Amino acid sequence: MLEVDGITTRYGAITALHGASLEVRAGELVALVGPNGAGKTTLLNTVAGLLSPATGSVRFEGVDITGSEPADLVRAGLALVPEHRRIFKDLTVEENLKLGAATVPKAERKQRLDEAAEVFTVLRAKWNTSAGFLSGGEAQQLAVARALMSNPRLLLLDEPTLGLAPTMVDVVFHLLEDLRSQGRTMLVVEQNATRALQLADRGYLLRTGNIVASGAGADLAADAELFDSFIGGHAAATTDTPPGGAT
Amino acid sequence: MTKLLQTLVDGLGVGSTYALLALGISLIFGVMHLVNFAHGELITVGAYTAYFFFLHGGSWWWMPFAIIGAAVLASMATEFLAFRWVRNASPFTLLLTSFAIERLSHALWQIFVSPKQRAFPKPSWVFNQFKIAGVSFEVMDIVTIGVTIATLVITAVVFKRTLFGISVRGAAEDFDAARLMGVRANRVISGAFGFAGFLAGVAACLILMRTPAAEPSMGSDWLLKAVIAAVIGGLGSFTGAVVGGVVLGLLETLTRAYLPEVATGWDKFSTAVVFIVIAIFFVIRPDGIFKVSHAERV
Amino acid sequence: MGSFVVRMGRSMLGSAVLIAAVAALALAYTSSGGASRESLVAEMLSNFILVLGIQIFIGNTGVLSFGHMAFAQIAAYATAVVAIPLAAKAKALPDIPFGLDNVHMNPFAATAFAVVVTVIIGALLGVAVSRAKGLAPTMITLALLFVVDQLVKNWKELTRGAGGLSGIPRIEGNGWLYVGALVALITAHFFQETRIGRFSIATREDELAAPALGIRLFTSRYVAWVVSIGLTALGGSLRAQSLGSVNPKQFTLDAGILVLVMLVVGGMRTISGAVLGTVLITAGNELFRQLGDPERLDIERFPDLFLGLAMLLTMVLRPEGILGDHDLAGWLRRKMYRRAEVTPTPAVVGTRPLTAREVEVVFGGFTALDGAALTVKPAEVVGLIGPNGAGKTTLFNVITGLVEEHAGSVRLGDDDLTTAGPVDVARSGLARTFQNLRLFQTLSVRENVALTALVAARHRAHRVRPDVDVLLDAAGLTEFADRSAGTLDYGNQRRLELIRAAALAPEYLLLDEPTSGMSDTESLAMVDSVRSIAALIGAGVLVIDHDLGFITRISDHIVVLNEGRVLAEGTPDQVRANPAVAEAYLGSQA
Repeated sequence: MLEVDGITTRYGAITALHGASLEVRAGELVALVGPNGAGKTTLLNTVAGLLSPATGSVRFEGVDITGSEPADLVRAGLALVPEHRRIFKDLTVEENLKLGAATVPKAERKQRLDEAAEVFTVLRAKWNTSAGFLSGGEAQQLAVARALMSNPRLLLLDEPTLGLAPTMVDVVFHLLEDLRSQGRTMLVVEQNATRALQLADRGYLLRTGNIVASGAGADLAADAELFDSFIGGHAAATTDTPPGGAT
Repeated sequence: MTKLLQTLVDGLGVGSTYALLALGISLIFGVMHLVNFAHGELITVGAYTAYFFFLHGGSWWWMPFAIIGAAVLASMATEFLAFRWVRNASPFTLLLTSFAIERLSHALWQIFVSPKQRAFPKPSWVFNQFKIAGVSFEVMDIVTIGVTIATLVITAVVFKRTLFGISVRGAAEDFDAARLMGVRANRVISGAFGFAGFLAGVAACLILMRTPAAEPSMGSDWLLKAVIAAVIGGLGSFTGAVVGGVVLGLLETLTRAYLPEVATGWDKFSTAVVFIVIAIFFVIRPDGIFKVSHAERV
Repeated sequence: MGSFVVRMGRSMLGSAVLIAAVAALALAYTSSGGASRESLVAEMLSNFILVLGIQIFIGNTGVLSFGHMAFAQIAAYATAVVAIPLAAKAKALPDIPFGLDNVHMNPFAATAFAVVVTVIIGALLGVAVSRAKGLAPTMITLALLFVVDQLVKNWKELTRGAGGLSGIPRIEGNGWLYVGALVALITAHFFQETRIGRFSIATREDELAAPALGIRLFTSRYVAWVVSIGLTALGGSLRAQSLGSVNPKQFTLDAGILVLVMLVVGGMRTISGAVLGTVLITAGNELFRQLGDPERLDIERFPDLFLGLAMLLTMVLRPEGILGDHDLAGWLRRKMYRRAEVTPTPAVVGTRPLTAREVEVVFGGFTALDGAALTVKPAEVVGLIGPNGAGKTTLFNVITGLVEEHAGSVRLGDDDLTTAGPVDVARSGLARTFQNLRLFQTLSVRENVALTALVAARHRAHRVRPDVDVLLDAAGLTEFADRSAGTLDYGNQRRLELIRAAALAPEYLLLDEPTSGMSDTESLAMVDSVRSIAALIGAGVLVIDHDLGFITRISDHIVVLNEGRVLAEGTPDQVRANPAVAEAYLGSQA
């Protein structure tokens, strides 16, 4: 469904991704894990069209979408729940969801809003509240609900449990399971690496802009490489140096 | 008491015009962090539109539509021809770009029409007066306040109820997040310019009914007051813009009416007094009355 | 920066070259043609002084002001009321206040009087302008323009209102205007060579980094404002004396915009840019004045069209102005740079520990820090780690004074830094870097480091201060010393930020993610860079990083934060072996 092939993405002088590749097949839940600063968010933002890769390509359902506008990607069936949620705090819950349904024909919009209210009962209680007043867990549910409004075939989630209390982390993981059982394809970036990998069908480990390991979720969760990546101990300095690197 | 009441009505009249203009400035600042010094030129565009139509037998019955239409088109044209090309530049560059457009507009009217004032007829009823409880009001005062309230209601409906309005508010808070919802940057920004043009067009109608004349630099004074009103209210805040406009209007008329009572001859310095008050206000509260937190993320 | 004599000499040399070029152009232009050409040159020269006047403020501090023309106007009127002969004055202004009816000054005294009066008024208003933030200073100056305009039009006893004042003794020829222009050039050049001038530029480049290196925003802006008003006043006074009259229409917003266009078209950051802009816009204006067809169109306004177009095209195509950062003065500074002979002084390690105790921070209901604490001993390297959102950067910001509202204490030895702002924290010995690199982008690599060295010379004189070139050597940046910082590659930008902080001769370096965005090889190299530079200045280090390979290699001691609290601390090996740390990082098993 999604094929990311050798993308390199730069912000000014920083090269955040060095030719990373991964694949998500229809119906899969894929976890992308790695230490802070590895380039996970950059990868999702590049796929979602917020950033343009310097090299490499992104294909969605066989169509080359490299460098497409996010607005077009939403219409093509791909949605991102961004890092830090980025819900519109000045807008009410309902307005946030309406904006999420910006690409939906007007006739269907009302129906989608009703469905969302049914699924996300927490949000229904706060329907006309400014989103700025939601708790972290509620805000995360709103962010997911908002992305689901366009009924995407592929949902990208960036750190959905960041800053949440442990009970809310459980809620979010259950939400992910529910979405998978409904057949939604997902690519999830998660700091809670072990748990995300155990849930996922497959996983990728990203480190300093490169995919360094991949495999079935549970296997990867037990991999020593994973531990090393997070808790230090360089696997020697074998990774390539970017152009104009160390002097 | 009578004097106070009349002064307040006058102040509300001027203030509501400032409010409409300030609202447009705040709206544009919200979506692209531009303090649009070319916004006042939309009044000039409206004035010349009226002047040209009156040359060929215009009527005030339909003139407001022509004025507003022209202002909307002109506003969107400035975005398409100039601001689009500097969209991600620094606020400094954006501001100077709008200044350049203001200069160009002045020059073009002066060269291709005339540097002199061009007058056209005013609606016959404008200065008719009527009395309520011994206080006399001008019809135009009531029209101004009424039209402003109606326009503000329309604005509130657009930004609360329509997808376009919600998109603009969302984009003002977090442009990238709005793009992730499928909102197109070009459409939102150009729509915001169109709506700001509508607000300026309504303000232009109110101004032109009172003083029916076109002059190349007529927009500048209004613009400067409106910018100051928008900044007083807190750039990017819609409520702030309206409050800022009304406060500025009231401050102006009240000082003009009551300063001479404080000391004779002071009325000549009423503007100076108002601006000194404003300068002091900015020192105490640089972010305006309604601080917009995300507006700082430039 | 060099001695006073060197800096003054350099300013005079640069100014002489520029004024000679302008004079040569002007003389070639006026050699044929009549008095109208002379008066065009006169206008250009007085604009020249005004442009340099506003360059000192806008160009160096990056704060836009519309109000400078108000001060030119005050100066012009101040000149008029003391320079007009007594008999003429008694007729024009019979009720003149302040006993000015008996005052008559020669041109020099009148000019000096005007400058002094204007500077006093400007100095008072400057307090408001320099203190305000964001757009407020621009709005205050705009309001000022209205106030002065109305005063001039209505205070008829002093100004004669809309008609203006004439009969100011005129200065013959353009000689004195050239002198004025030269004075303006030298002032503008020399201002950039002074400590406070360099500091203004630093605040323009980065409003957050400058205070974090001990540069006070208010002071540098204020001094720039006052000097700038002084030059503007000179320009206003000379223009009044060149024309022999003054009226409210001379110094309106329009005139201010003309001057602003001259500045931005040439390039506002440099004096060469201001000069080029003045010449080009004057010439272009004149050209367009002659282009119009008087039969068909109102040609008076062609220059306005030119101004608008020139500004619009500059903004769209080259927002930095034609010259950008190319500058004669900068070129001279680089060419005349001589490496100082230094006898290496061994660094003295500080004696005071850095401690933070019981730090609590709540951001709108979210508890970012919940009793975090740490201690760094002199010359020790402490790593601060923790998962995303653990509060590492917040703790950094508390220590360095960026987060003001918090509970708990921060101390450097006996100094209590709990409530100190960024400037005072930096001056008392903590120098920081930023997660997302905050270099002075358009300044050269050497200038970035030299700027902090200037702060150190004043506020860290009790410490052994490192030489700028020695630091550049240590970071391997000597070969790039004259390049602008923004053009370096990423790793070198990181190293530059490190030595810029080191130049403050701090007791502790606080580094926020020095390896983020680096490859493994670069990170490894950074271990040596940080260690050697810290040793060079005898400083301890507190470093946040999420590259644990880097942290375990560089740190003597590691503190692990999680959810705003210290989860674990100890040597790198102890921390690695701690199961709680592994769980915090990898997440719990489901």
